Amino acid sequence: MEAEVKEIKGQVVSAENPAIVAPADWQPVIVGILCNWCSYAGSDLTGTSRIQYPPNIRIIRVPCSSRVDPWFIIKSLQTSGDGVLISGCHPGDCHYISGNYYARRRFLVTKKLLNFVGYHENRVQFSWVSAAEGPKFAKVVAKVTEDIKKLGPLHKYKKENLK
Amino acid sequence: MDYTKQIQEIASKLFTEGKVDIFIGYRQNAFDDNQVPMLVTSPGDIPNLIFNDKSVLNLTNYLKFEHTRNKRVGIVVKGCDSRALNMILTESQVKRENLYVVGINCTGVLNEKGEKAQNCLECVMPDAVVYDEMIGTPSGKREYAVNVDVKELAAKGLVERGEYFQEIFESCIRCNACRQSCPMCYCSKCCIDQESATIYNGSNTPSSAFHALMTWSLHLAGRCVDCRNCEKACPSHLPLHLLHKQNEMVIYENFQHHLAGMEKDDRGAFYKYNLKDPDDFIM
Repeated sequence: MEAEVKEIKGQVVSAENPAIVAPADWQPVIVGILCNWCSYAGSDLTGTSRIQYPPNIRIIRVPCSSRVDPWFIIKSLQTSGDGVLISGCHPGDCHYISGNYYARRRFLVTKKLLNFVGYHENRVQFSWVSAAEGPKFAKVVAKVTEDIKKLGPLHKYKKENLK
Repeated sequence: MDYTKQIQEIASKLFTEGKVDIFIGYRQNAFDDNQVPMLVTSPGDIPNLIFNDKSVLNLTNYLKFEHTRNKRVGIVVKGCDSRALNMILTESQVKRENLYVVGINCTGVLNEKGEKAQNCLECVMPDAVVYDEMIGTPSGKREYAVNVDVKELAAKGLVERGEYFQEIFESCIRCNACRQSCPMCYCSKCCIDQESATIYNGSNTPSSAFHALMTWSLHLAGRCVDCRNCEKACPSHLPLHLLHKQNEMVIYENFQHHLAGMEKDDRGAFYKYNLKDPDDFIM
């Protein structure tokens, strides 16, 4: 059972907490954690081929998608991120042969646990983007940004709330 | 289930034969029916050893401390404890040749109210999987059942669940007793402490509790054996099993019915993979 995303005209309502509303021109911050060998090169290709994609994503480069500890996702949500996008090589294409197979197990458990404690499932998203898929990367970022915009700002368990 | 006599006999035998330096068992506390762990270092303490339905704590936790490191240890383990022991043996935290394991084929322990504990009702392996000596009759592996609390919560809506967990994270006082009492948490430096501003993240705010408990439970995913030492140690009585049982459920359903510590040399679910693992959630 997922919460319905309410829409009030001119405002964004958070799906996790309906009390939180943001102005319509609110821009989310998305933490993008990309693998060095595929997705980072893919995002580079997106840039060099002059494909436009939303500037909301802040990219962090990691050696492999299996370098992503679930801790990184928790920290991203706890600090500045309204959403997280993690991207790596397609299954079978891992530079380290099997890194992304290990990674996807962790991602599934992390995603389900975050959903269990009250985060909408679209807050944390995953994708496989290869070094040749520039247009796909642009599409993925556009979709994630669109999803997070619908969900509204994330105020849950934010460090800034400590005043 | 009262194995006090057998355990005392085994302990005195071990000390007379000089097989162990320390024997870890349970001792009656001065009040209530509360039991505390006891490290027996001399045969004179053996009459204090006890084992019955109230022996709830997981003693394998005491293998990670300085008192027992690199010493010959005798230890009493129930079914769930032996799974934890199996895990830490696989992860090379203790040496098998240093241990003398008294395995107990458990029939379930009681909680504070005197009822059978929830994790015993849902226990998948009541028999000791690692042992040198076995007490009681084995009853065999049982069917896995999804935790009732997890089921109940999962049926609720996202917002309701969020509010429920908000309350939990607000009640956490960040004493780290859950981590200290966990047999699986043996890192000398824990990542949930490593902060440039410790005062900030170590404080008892919901934010820091969310960070700590979520990170902790995800690092235990696929390794947690559901002994509930964390819950017994928690001064705020938080239902910490919810996080672990949720992870366990997801892992059991998606990763070939994996349960931690059931087999020898089986590391956690995150240390292996299958080509058919679900990835329909990945774009």
